[in-house]
Amino acid sequence: MRPPALAQALVAAAAPESDYEMVAGDLHEEYLRIMYQRGAKAADRWYWAQTVLSIPSLLSYSRSNRSPRRRIGVALIAFAVLLAMAAVLMAIELAAQTVFGNANAGGGRIWLWIMYIDAVVFGAILARLVRPDGVRVAFYAAIFLVLCFVVPAVAGHPGSQAPLCAWIELSGVIPAMCIGAGLYQAIRRRINTAR
Amino acid sequence: MAKGEYLGEFEHVVLLIVLRLGDGAYGAMIRAEIERVTGRSPAMGAVHATLERLERKRLVSSWIGEPTAERGGKAKRHFKVEADGISALKHARRALERLHAGVSLRDATA
Repeated sequence: MRPPALAQALVAAAAPESDYEMVAGDLHEEYLRIMYQRGAKAADRWYWAQTVLSIPSLLSYSRSNRSPRRRIGVALIAFAVLLAMAAVLMAIELAAQTVFGNANAGGGRIWLWIMYIDAVVFGAILARLVRPDGVRVAFYAAIFLVLCFVVPAVAGHPGSQAPLCAWIELSGVIPAMCIGAGLYQAIRRRINTAR
Repeated sequence: MAKGEYLGEFEHVVLLIVLRLGDGAYGAMIRAEIERVTGRSPAMGAVHATLERLERKRLVSSWIGEPTAERGGKAKRHFKVEADGISALKHARRALERLHAGVSLRDATA
């Protein structure tokens, strides 16, 4: 008699902190009603459809303080986290160069995955620092990061040319940071609910 | 009315539904009533996001109720329409009436 766990986790990751309990409660209430009327499978399908359709709206709002001071503070924190994320990547690259004598040891794929893991970890750190707007801020920060590389290339800046696949690979940072922030929020809310 | 204070189409629907349901309406109830009255099935997230926007515009106010077992032990956020919300609805209705004035839908062809 419980909604699908993964869908619940997605709601927990996407909903604003102040409204998570109410959104999850409303979904749970309707889920039980549909289950009694049309069966468990129909209720599961309904819950999944609601979750997927609700995510963009849930990410679009927040009841937190919207003062210019807080917005500037959040932007500065996000920028600092992006710098730290880049610094860690560079440190790993430097360490690889020192140990293996070649920064590209292991091939480009490994570096891609190291970059994504770095983004997941720093997405979670960002979510911790800018609570309660974690996933939203992580999403915008990652888009800013990707644009920092794409805009000079599109503008024809020398030294910024890269094949299209490189931009596609780089844009994987956007979902990676959102996954990190979402995981942090979902785990935190599970712990709070269990208490 | 300032530009940012006009009601969007879905905001209009949600505000009218909260008014129909009376004080204490909450997300699941509002979503079910929208489905019953209009035939459209909005996402729960869209309903909550719209309610938050209406609250920010001071057209509705909210308070948190007690957690109940049928909601998995989770609380409800109840809503009621404020005086500014009634004014916004009156304004939207007058605007729609003016738009419809002199237009015959019977003679119109698609």
